[in-house]
Amino acid sequence: MRLLLLLLPLSLFANLNIAVSYPYIGAIVKSIGADKINTIVLAKGNWDPHFIIPRPSLISKVRNADGLVINGAQLEIGWLPALIKRAGNPKTNINAKTFLNLSNYVNLINKPQSVDRSGGDLHPNGNPHFHLDPNNILILSNVIKEYLSSIDMDNAELYKKNYQTFAKMWKNKIKFWNEKMIDKKGFKVIQFHNNLAYFLKAYSLKNIGTIEPLPGIPPSSRHTMDLIKLIKTEKPFCILHDVYHSTKTAKYISSKTGIPVILMPHDIKALDSIDDLTSLFDYLTDAIK
Amino acid sequence: MKKLLSLSLVASSLLLADTDLEQLKKQMDKQQLIIQKLQEKIQNLESEKLSSEQKRIQKLEAIIAKQEQRYEEKTPKQVVLNTAGSSSSFSQSAFVPNISLILDTSYVSRNKEDDIVSNLNVPGVVNGLLGTTADGDSTFNANNGFNFNYAEMAISSSVDPFFRMDAIFHIREDGVEIDEAYFTSTALGYGLRAKAGKFRSNFGYLNEKHHHQLNFGDVPLVYESFLGIHGISEIGLQLQWTAPTSTYLMLGAEVLQGNNARTFGNKSIGDAENPVAKASTAPALLVAYAKSSVDIGDTTVFGGISYANGSARVDNGSSVFSGDSSLYGADLLVKHYFDSYSSLTWQSELLMRDMDGKDYNLNDDGTVFGNQDLRKKQSGLYTQLIYGINQSWKIGAKYDTIYQNDVIRDAVNQNLPSSLNKYSAMLEYQTSEFSRFRLQYNRNETLYSGDGKKQNINSIILEANIAVGAHGAHSF
Repeated sequence: MRLLLLLLPLSLFANLNIAVSYPYIGAIVKSIGADKINTIVLAKGNWDPHFIIPRPSLISKVRNADGLVINGAQLEIGWLPALIKRAGNPKTNINAKTFLNLSNYVNLINKPQSVDRSGGDLHPNGNPHFHLDPNNILILSNVIKEYLSSIDMDNAELYKKNYQTFAKMWKNKIKFWNEKMIDKKGFKVIQFHNNLAYFLKAYSLKNIGTIEPLPGIPPSSRHTMDLIKLIKTEKPFCILHDVYHSTKTAKYISSKTGIPVILMPHDIKALDSIDDLTSLFDYLTDAIK
Repeated sequence: MKKLLSLSLVASSLLLADTDLEQLKKQMDKQQLIIQKLQEKIQNLESEKLSSEQKRIQKLEAIIAKQEQRYEEKTPKQVVLNTAGSSSSFSQSAFVPNISLILDTSYVSRNKEDDIVSNLNVPGVVNGLLGTTADGDSTFNANNGFNFNYAEMAISSSVDPFFRMDAIFHIREDGVEIDEAYFTSTALGYGLRAKAGKFRSNFGYLNEKHHHQLNFGDVPLVYESFLGIHGISEIGLQLQWTAPTSTYLMLGAEVLQGNNARTFGNKSIGDAENPVAKASTAPALLVAYAKSSVDIGDTTVFGGISYANGSARVDNGSSVFSGDSSLYGADLLVKHYFDSYSSLTWQSELLMRDMDGKDYNLNDDGTVFGNQDLRKKQSGLYTQLIYGINQSWKIGAKYDTIYQNDVIRDAVNQNLPSSLNKYSAMLEYQTSEFSRFRLQYNRNETLYSGDGKKQNINSIILEANIAVGAHGAHSF
């Protein structure tokens, strides 16, 4: 009997199935879509968003989706195209109106002047980690509202209402976080990979160096030594570290310079305590003290 | 009166809006002019190519970018005419497909000379397995010393809303071979996908993968000896269906021409008018498979069963085989992820071959002097364990075997060696996603010389695999 249930087509359970690449997108879709949308998140929040393993089970998730929302700006380039290719689902093809690329709706920063892989594994369109600016979440929730309304017009009113509720809540939160971060303006920080660029920009913090010598290139001892020198002269406040790279090098630098290593979750469930978008930004704005 | 007042109010506000718009337009025109002037300046400056000027150019570009941004922000609904790019009006460079080039080169050291190695056989299975064999085919890492395995060029792009196209060429020193060139449907729906052209069959787990996706520098023994280094790579048609279930289930079928030199084939062999083995009707090879996968926490289990059946025409030089072949496959892969960069993968495949037909013995001049009923029932497997330590390092071991080797001539089993083993170990280092260096050790205990003596081959292979360009994401 259980096997039979397992094999039942998902489409029998009514609602629209919207597949999304990362948990933060799932959270926005859930806020706007409420119980009218089944949100299917492909990547896990504690994984490096650049390196998601294209497990075959994800092919089925894409195959059964009525729409696909991606981060874009080439963040999914290493894993999602293979899934879309295999799924045989016209609704998730890049030119379908049920396909949404969020990066088209925000201003990307850090666009490289020239693209050459001697400069590391660059994102030619700019830094793709734009969701870590809470102001962008507001823009994206509006985009997702429009998107859901366009493919499910019957519930457009509901999506609009849900968006308004979400936006009101979120604007209050932005104000709250702004107040919390106001005295952090101008703080210098070190990161492993520049994945907090938008967060730092939103609160006028300054990234002065990364532990990886170039994007996607593992730390080297020479670069680490240079970084320690830089820290001693520039005196940054701390090392902001993602949850998926080893903190070994960061801890070594910390022991040599005395500046703390602070773990910064990049998405929901990156750390166990991060359950939703609000707790993500609560955590991020709390972390820098 | 009230009405009139409100009407006039509306009218005046409309007018106001109009003049606002016009002012905006004028402003935009001005900005457009400024932009054009700045662009001209930049062009002048660029033509001088003075490094001191380049900083200024960057500044000016930044200003332009800012102005353009403001321009866009102010007028989201206005159409911006851009005549600056008219010289490239008919340029199609934006449609250049994704192109990548992957180079594979190696240094090999073996305990036996190349000429000896290439004349060794896996008895009853294949004449010449390693090195550059008599039929001119060479395996990867064929020779002692340096080897240029290939430069693989891959080109891929969407064709239109209904198809995409992929082509992979292996450029070797002695020429170019079309590894794959096919088009795939993208708009069939219902989880269906059709493919036509020349492609690698999706039989088993490894058959579809290209050499640079393998964890070892050589193709597993069962694949290499039953099918050759390219596996089932054929011209034909493929149809695959992913079931609408929450558990991954894929069924596929292929109709193929049947041109495999070792197990399948449809062409006549011998004199065209009076051939030793007559041609069979083509397409002559059918392949079918089912694959499924489940996730248990951070562990993925992926398995499948495959079946291939077709006519067989195999030219062994001193004999010609004509009949039918069946190939049965079962594969299982279990992968556990510790984090984004570290995983443990256990991968195994079992292949069983059943060939049934007549074997014709040839004189040196190609005339037949005898024939027997020949049945070959041969089975083998490989199993390997790969530990991805971190982003840079991988370590692995592989065991290859052919454990069944029943060759029956006119109802008499030839009692050929049936425990043929090969052991491999490797250590891999990546400086980035795009460059990979692998040190591998092989001990091959499957090879025999012409006089029936066992010849163990030890190889050390240092292989570099380097990629540039836009290469599509690999599937699981």
